[in-house]
Amino acid sequence: MTAASGTSRGAELPSIFGGLRPHARWRELGFLAIVATALTIGSISLGATLRARDPERGAGIPEGAFAPYGATLLAIYLGALLVAHFVQVLAGRRSDQVLLPAVGLLGGISLLLMERLPQNLGGQFGGLAQTQLVWLLIAIAIVAVTAVAVRSDAWLRLYKYTWAAAGIALLLLTFVFGRDVGGARLTLDLGPLSGQPSELLKVILVVFLAGYLSENRALLVEQSTSIGPLRLPPLPYLAPMGAMWAIALGIVVVQRDLGAALLFFAVFLLLLYITTARASYVAIGVVVFLLGSALMYKLFAHVQQRVDIWLNPFADPSGSGYQVVQALYAFGRGGILGTGLGNGLPTVGGRLPIPEIHTDFPFAALGEELGLIGLLAILGVYLVVIVRGLRIAASAADDFRALLAAGLSLVVGVQAFIIAAGNLKLIPLTGITLPFISYGGSSLLANAVVIGLLLALSDRGVEPPPVPRRGRIARLLDRGAP
Amino acid sequence: MTADTYGESSNGSVRRPLGPNIVRVGLALAIAFAALAAGAGYWQVARSAPLSVAPDNPAVVAAARKALRGRILDRSGTILADNRKDDNGEPYRVYRDSAMSPIVGYASRQFGTAGLERAYDAELLGSVRPDPVADLLKKFEPDPLDPQQLKLSISLPLQRAAVRALGNDRGAVVILDPKTGEVLVLASTPIYDASAIANPDTGEAAFAKLRDDKRLPFLPRATQGQYVPGSVFKIVTALAGLGSGSINPDTTFAQQPRAEQDGLVVSGFRVRDGHHLVTGSKALDFYEATEVSCNIWYALTGLKTGGDNLAATAKNLGFGDNPPFDLPLGRSQVTNGGGNFGGGFKDSVELANASYGQAETVVTPFQMALVAATVANDGVLMQPHVVTSLSGKKSGTRTIDPSVWRRIVSAGVARDVQQAMQRAVEGPLGRQFTSGAKVPGVSTAGKSGTAQLGGTGEPNSWFIGFAPVEDPQVAIAVIVEHGGRGGERAAPLAGNLMTLALKSLAGG
Amino acid sequence: MDPFAASLWLLRFLFLAALYLFLFAVVRVLVRDLRAAAREPGTEAGRLHVLASPGGEPPAGAVFVLDAVTSLGRDVNNTVVVEDPFASAEHAVLTFRGRAWYLEDRGSTNGTYVNASRIEGLAPIGFGDEIQIGQVRMRLERPRG
Repeated sequence: MTAASGTSRGAELPSIFGGLRPHARWRELGFLAIVATALTIGSISLGATLRARDPERGAGIPEGAFAPYGATLLAIYLGALLVAHFVQVLAGRRSDQVLLPAVGLLGGISLLLMERLPQNLGGQFGGLAQTQLVWLLIAIAIVAVTAVAVRSDAWLRLYKYTWAAAGIALLLLTFVFGRDVGGARLTLDLGPLSGQPSELLKVILVVFLAGYLSENRALLVEQSTSIGPLRLPPLPYLAPMGAMWAIALGIVVVQRDLGAALLFFAVFLLLLYITTARASYVAIGVVVFLLGSALMYKLFAHVQQRVDIWLNPFADPSGSGYQVVQALYAFGRGGILGTGLGNGLPTVGGRLPIPEIHTDFPFAALGEELGLIGLLAILGVYLVVIVRGLRIAASAADDFRALLAAGLSLVVGVQAFIIAAGNLKLIPLTGITLPFISYGGSSLLANAVVIGLLLALSDRGVEPPPVPRRGRIARLLDRGAP
Repeated sequence: MTADTYGESSNGSVRRPLGPNIVRVGLALAIAFAALAAGAGYWQVARSAPLSVAPDNPAVVAAARKALRGRILDRSGTILADNRKDDNGEPYRVYRDSAMSPIVGYASRQFGTAGLERAYDAELLGSVRPDPVADLLKKFEPDPLDPQQLKLSISLPLQRAAVRALGNDRGAVVILDPKTGEVLVLASTPIYDASAIANPDTGEAAFAKLRDDKRLPFLPRATQGQYVPGSVFKIVTALAGLGSGSINPDTTFAQQPRAEQDGLVVSGFRVRDGHHLVTGSKALDFYEATEVSCNIWYALTGLKTGGDNLAATAKNLGFGDNPPFDLPLGRSQVTNGGGNFGGGFKDSVELANASYGQAETVVTPFQMALVAATVANDGVLMQPHVVTSLSGKKSGTRTIDPSVWRRIVSAGVARDVQQAMQRAVEGPLGRQFTSGAKVPGVSTAGKSGTAQLGGTGEPNSWFIGFAPVEDPQVAIAVIVEHGGRGGERAAPLAGNLMTLALKSLAGG
Repeated sequence: MDPFAASLWLLRFLFLAALYLFLFAVVRVLVRDLRAAAREPGTEAGRLHVLASPGGEPPAGAVFVLDAVTSLGRDVNNTVVVEDPFASAEHAVLTFRGRAWYLEDRGSTNGTYVNASRIEGLAPIGFGDEIQIGQVRMRLERPRG
């Protein structure tokens, strides 16, 4: 623990690498053991199922049918999780012990899914599964490093406007230089690498919001502008919030990324509620959102199309509604128990029934193969991650950390909700990824940063936050207060 | 808690803790996820059944695509249509011989089905609609479908011989067993390569080429080609006349020898003929008239028989009233109809011309083969069929037995016609018209025809017949488009094929 | 059903069961944790009861709910503004670190006293201890709730 044990003089300067003091994390190890067992059984099941489907197999039990499929990849993955565990043990972190196994389980399911899909769907590193493994390994490394190395939140807390500016710059870069992929301008190419900056943007947004809202919390809570019966946040603060809304609109219009816009706006509203506990603000936000949506529906064809195929995908089942219809068929085929890992997704002419299944529809693929029971389990794991994150937020040392932790959990949770609901036709389909399960480096790395920060925030031994300084405006207002 | 806290001090507001807010947000998210669970439950349980059987559900499509169609075999068990798997493990059809294309047709993923592949599509697939798809997905059971294998009465070697004999000409050959109605040959030229169509790699190109081919390879001429029959139609007239009692085998017409020279005038129209040099001034009877194929005698017979009787006999034989058959049949007719001269004929001129196979008579080769088979089988027309049995792994074998379709004329009348037709092939005069039609060493009967088409170009060359006369094994109809006189192409072709057929049936 | 198919069913079932095993294990820990947190008074780590304040600021008898970090001093920017001639602008800071409270003197002119003893730098402080800054006396109390 770098925090003073009570005897040293003067405040300790924050340090990145404190003295090593290993602290056992048995619970995490236990959970990881269960995760490893589950994933191993899963890969054996996958392997056996694929052998069973092989038309050339003879009768009876073929030889080696029960060997785990993709054993090497799985072993490397589990090894990495173990290493991350030990890194935290050695660093003596008293951080949350549930997050890493939960995310590890999701990542493992992702790996199994990528192994099961045709390998030519993607992969700069040789095949779909191998590439996903590489990204997963990098993600685990980021989680471990962030959890261990981040000892102070000053760099996040103090430079929030810098972060905001960086975020906006990234957004503008994508607006201008981004590449259109599948109708949405999400991808930014930097030499040989390409990624989706919107994934990182959501983390930057949460950092900014946490800082902004926590700093101005007092005013937001106590003062409000009244327009008739409506209570709005104080006028000086309406501007940044209006800017939020405008950014969300911009994302929808220019990038055609409805999912990201929805995510940003939802997280913003939820954090606003946490800060102020004013349900009216949230209600106004929702109304404004609906009005904006209605406006965009009228103005933009691509929004119209999304909403139309959400309402009735069967009107054009082989054209624009194809993806949604096929996803629903997949859920229907799954039933309660699913078809078994590796046994679903009937190919027609060698092609998978659902396009972009590895990025946009892993939820439907898992729904088909693991059934309702399996889907509920996966939703449960996401809920665990959210609840844990919110728990970390609730017991955080100060407002900034609380809001940061809450925001990070919400970013993962709301994103999972949006894409799952889109797959299930509860809301219009959007192109955002399912955290930790969808294929794609940008998504994995950004979410890894989230988990790493959550772990860092949950460390009970971490140094306390700095002495709070109230803003200049607050002081001015205070002087005038009765 | 709030009661104790210091709320509005000027030196710093005591903030309410964030905890409860966070808990509320957590609850809201939990409810949202519960909604997700409900949604998943809706699609995966409540709507599972209707979704699983939607026809564009890939599971349904894949099941149909992966289904192995039943094979098609010829009468000796040679496989005519079989399955092969492509790179995706999905089967496609391969066909042994292009000679069979008019009968077997093709089954292609892109271009649908034709021929027997279409007529027996459901049986070959072995299902009505794959509804146990749900079971298919949940259990590792093999095909719940029961594809049927078709055994045909067709003889592949004979079919090949027929196609080869037709050569570059367009035409058709139909050979039946008159006693059972089984079809041994149903050949049409030009043929096409059905395998090229069914093969997913070459299908598109092959189909386009064939579709644009002016020679109409897709037309199954044997069953659907419609032609002017010419003199082969006289057998129908004979059956109508003798069957109705309007004439008898001794009937002669006094004006006939005279009319040979100048032509018979019927209502101002002159019916001409060409054999008066051979028969001189003798008034011909039925047998003689048939032997030399006398148009005038037949025109007079037709007028005497009357349109009603002619039309009725023709209808009995299948004209305009096809027998049920495994493949679609074209429509044969004696007249376009609409007239009130009896039987739909407009006037006596039409009736007279129709009686020797011109005017508006139109026949399919298959129909004429049925006529020959009727005569051969003593006036009883057997139900024609190509498929003799269907067998599936689960359902066993079902045989199609021979059955009577209609009795057209009495046995006595039939024998008279048989005799006449035999003279047409073996008689001293008849031989010259139908040279080559006789099967060596076997009593053969038949009738040739030269169908004038009007305009320029060779007439169609026809022949119908059967052998042996006393115990017919085969009945045949041959047409060679623009083949010249009947005796030129059709008759020798028929003779060769009948020879081959009798040899193969005898086990040779 | 042949034994291979049966074993495949078993594997599928085992996989789902393993997923739920994980969930149950985790939820058990979560629930226990949440219950323990509920027994704790939320984020309230302690209270500061003002016993005596001749200057009137902070008002005598006032009780402050404390966050993890509370600064005390004459400057208006402090969490608890102490208007006392003997208090420095930035006098002391009261922090809750992990499990215990600490009071730290920030180099004040007249010193900070815990239970009448002057503290130097950072000193641990427990519930019931009295803090004196200038002439203002306050007591650290347990959180309510």
